[in-house]
Amino acid sequence: MADQEASKITHSSHLLLDQPLLRLPYELLRKNFRGAHFHFEKEASSVKNLLRDTATGSLDGKVSPDDVVKNLDTMLARMRGMKRKLSAYAEEEAHLFKQVDARVAHLRELSDMQTVEDVKYEAWSRQRLDRLLVDYLLRHGYNDSAQSLATERQMEDLVDIDTFVAMSKVRKSLENGSVQEALAWCNDNKKELRRMNSNLEFMLRCQQYVEMMRAGAELKLVEATTHAKRYIVPFSSTYPNEVRQIAGLLAYQPDTTVEPYASWYSHERWTKLADIFVDAHNKLLGLPSFPLLHIALSSGLSALKTPACHSSQATSSSQPSHSTSLTTSVCPICSTELNELARNVPYAHHTTSHVEHDLLLMPNGRVYGKRRLEEYAGKAGLPDGQFKDLVTGETFPSDKLKKVFIT
Amino acid sequence: METLAKDLAALSKMAGLAAAVDNIDQIIEQLSRARDQVAQARDPHIASMTMTKLQNPIKLGFDKVNDSLKDVASRNKKLGKALDKSFPLEDLPADHDAMANQPALINRAIAMHLLREGQFSVASTFIDEAQDTAASHHGLYSHLDSHDDTTSPEGDVLMGEDDSSQGDVPVSMTASSSDHQDLSSLQSQELQAKFAEMYRVLQDLKARNLRPAIDWARANSAELEARGSNLEFELCKLQYVWLFLGPGVNGLPDDEYNGRSGALLYARQRFGRFQPRHLSEIQKLASALVFAPNLGQSPCRSIFTIDSAFTDVASSFTREFCSLLGLSAESPLYMAVTAGALALPYQMKFTSRTKSRGTEWTTSTELAFETPLPKRMVYHSIFVCPVAKEQTTDTNPPMMIPCGHVLAKETLQKLCKGTRFKCPYCPSEGQIKDARQIIL
Repeated sequence: MADQEASKITHSSHLLLDQPLLRLPYELLRKNFRGAHFHFEKEASSVKNLLRDTATGSLDGKVSPDDVVKNLDTMLARMRGMKRKLSAYAEEEAHLFKQVDARVAHLRELSDMQTVEDVKYEAWSRQRLDRLLVDYLLRHGYNDSAQSLATERQMEDLVDIDTFVAMSKVRKSLENGSVQEALAWCNDNKKELRRMNSNLEFMLRCQQYVEMMRAGAELKLVEATTHAKRYIVPFSSTYPNEVRQIAGLLAYQPDTTVEPYASWYSHERWTKLADIFVDAHNKLLGLPSFPLLHIALSSGLSALKTPACHSSQATSSSQPSHSTSLTTSVCPICSTELNELARNVPYAHHTTSHVEHDLLLMPNGRVYGKRRLEEYAGKAGLPDGQFKDLVTGETFPSDKLKKVFIT
Repeated sequence: METLAKDLAALSKMAGLAAAVDNIDQIIEQLSRARDQVAQARDPHIASMTMTKLQNPIKLGFDKVNDSLKDVASRNKKLGKALDKSFPLEDLPADHDAMANQPALINRAIAMHLLREGQFSVASTFIDEAQDTAASHHGLYSHLDSHDDTTSPEGDVLMGEDDSSQGDVPVSMTASSSDHQDLSSLQSQELQAKFAEMYRVLQDLKARNLRPAIDWARANSAELEARGSNLEFELCKLQYVWLFLGPGVNGLPDDEYNGRSGALLYARQRFGRFQPRHLSEIQKLASALVFAPNLGQSPCRSIFTIDSAFTDVASSFTREFCSLLGLSAESPLYMAVTAGALALPYQMKFTSRTKSRGTEWTTSTELAFETPLPKRMVYHSIFVCPVAKEQTTDTNPPMMIPCGHVLAKETLQKLCKGTRFKCPYCPSEGQIKDARQIIL
């Protein structure tokens, strides 16, 4: 039967929305390792050099025993520092593995279910909704809400609060007009950003320049020129237009109305920078560029939507608020929460009719299934042979009803 | 997933960064031992000897750390491979985000979802945060907020008591709804209070206390009746049965208001107004008193098996409660997201197929592919004209012709020769004036 087909869970494709669930901790593991490795290389080479120098120096008699002890102390301090750092990385690694474990366990629950009618599916799907909500909340910077939802639902291991909170800190700092945090982030992810051809750092440097120009004082202008020479001019072949405009900026005051200089001076650039940063961040970690909830909603709203959902007349099978309880429930698209949101999405495509059995037409033009009419008449306590319209409440004798054939 | 879980179990047995930390510990040990030796001897010769001897072990130590790090790298790589194998990466549709310019509406849907799920504290945190953000955007970039201010229903409508005039009029539209106002209408606590009430009643139902539910049903009996709902009677009936079963089952105090006499008393007080409609059922309930000593064998035993009765009335209570607020019983957000997860594969299949053919589908009024959903997620009757294979809409409504067959209006117009047409499904003929529009 077609319905069985529709409610079957195809495991390979049912988890499309859940890809970041495992991809992100994997990316973070790699990033964590890169951090550990980088730190180790840096410290190890300095300790090794110091050790070699001390040994040769001591052999040549250039380094006194006291200095040897001092150098050894330096090495020890460095090694202890390294240990501390690496322990932190190791902890993070263990934490991430725990997350991966929890997430795989969560996804595995689904593989035991064959259809969406499975009693356990609803709980699983609800948890998925909660995950998507947390993802949405975090991406919009509603961090407290996300945290409290995750705590309430006990699913901290299934959501990526830390990652997004860190991201939203940088984003907020950009929105508040500070580039420092974003530059630090660029520095942490230099190699990857270069591989992605990200223009984030360049844009941040440009903004720094713009701010120096805005400050306007003589001294600042000199500083700005030095800054431009160091950070902006090297990119003149990659971003020729921007570099040219930046150079031209020198001739315009911050209150200019001449484009493109006015938009360089505009405060909206900060919002734009924040967007560029968020894009780069998400791309770097393999995250979709917009909330997963959006993807789920736009596909789900369409799948549920019918032409009747925004119809000007109450159809017999839909009942905004004033319905009868015989029909199962108010349609989710007709419900206040989603009605407006669904207004502009396309409605679902159907090739066959889905109607009740034994349809009867009432004199007022409304059509209902026979069983539903009988049930309603019974509940309304009507005498035999009388039927009541489920929407309008009019009653008609049964001989006024006509059979309807749907082919 | 099974294989992935197995791979993962194998990977977690492999050493991680912690091994590298152990190796570092060894280096620290050697260094500090050497330090102590040199410090004690304070002799240039011993110092240089120690230092020279130290070179190799330390180098080895660092090599070990390096090896551990390599192991970690290969473990990560293996994890990546395991993921690729069991969970191959597929690109999600990312070309256009239809929801991006509707944050206010999405926020409202989420706030209402949290409220209806009974997550009141999360909801209020969320409303505060969302409003703060909206407010700060108002301050900084007030011009950005001018986006479509005309297309949201005012939140108040959904909180208003249901009255009969709303039946045919879709939720009225008013002309202002920035993020700010939308959520503040939710914060006005009316909806929250409603849902809090619903949760209190449900909680009581769970504790097998029917009174609050009965009180609510009585207070709203006019609306419930208009909906053809029997909720009040069902609740009273259950209360009767509950009392009837006596203190041994219901655990209420054993007095004149409990047990069979209590049930009788209750029936006398309450059943009167249900008589016109539910006479036969009341008779059955009353006759139970006769069978009382040996209910299990009596014809009315089915009424008195109440295993699922409480969960049943709880769910119909939720449904009625939400319906009177104009809301669906299931969280629409939950339904939409679940439907989305089911429909997404079809969408991706379609896009990949059309992309490879070079023909792309642009959003119009109807999806270009089918997204089959389980039956319980189909809420409206759907009529597809059997000739045009198109769904009927407001502008192209279904028409019934005299023989009882139904066609879309446009189809009928095309079929027409002059004022007459022949039914495509049976031999009968009809006049266009005899065709009438029907409402499914």
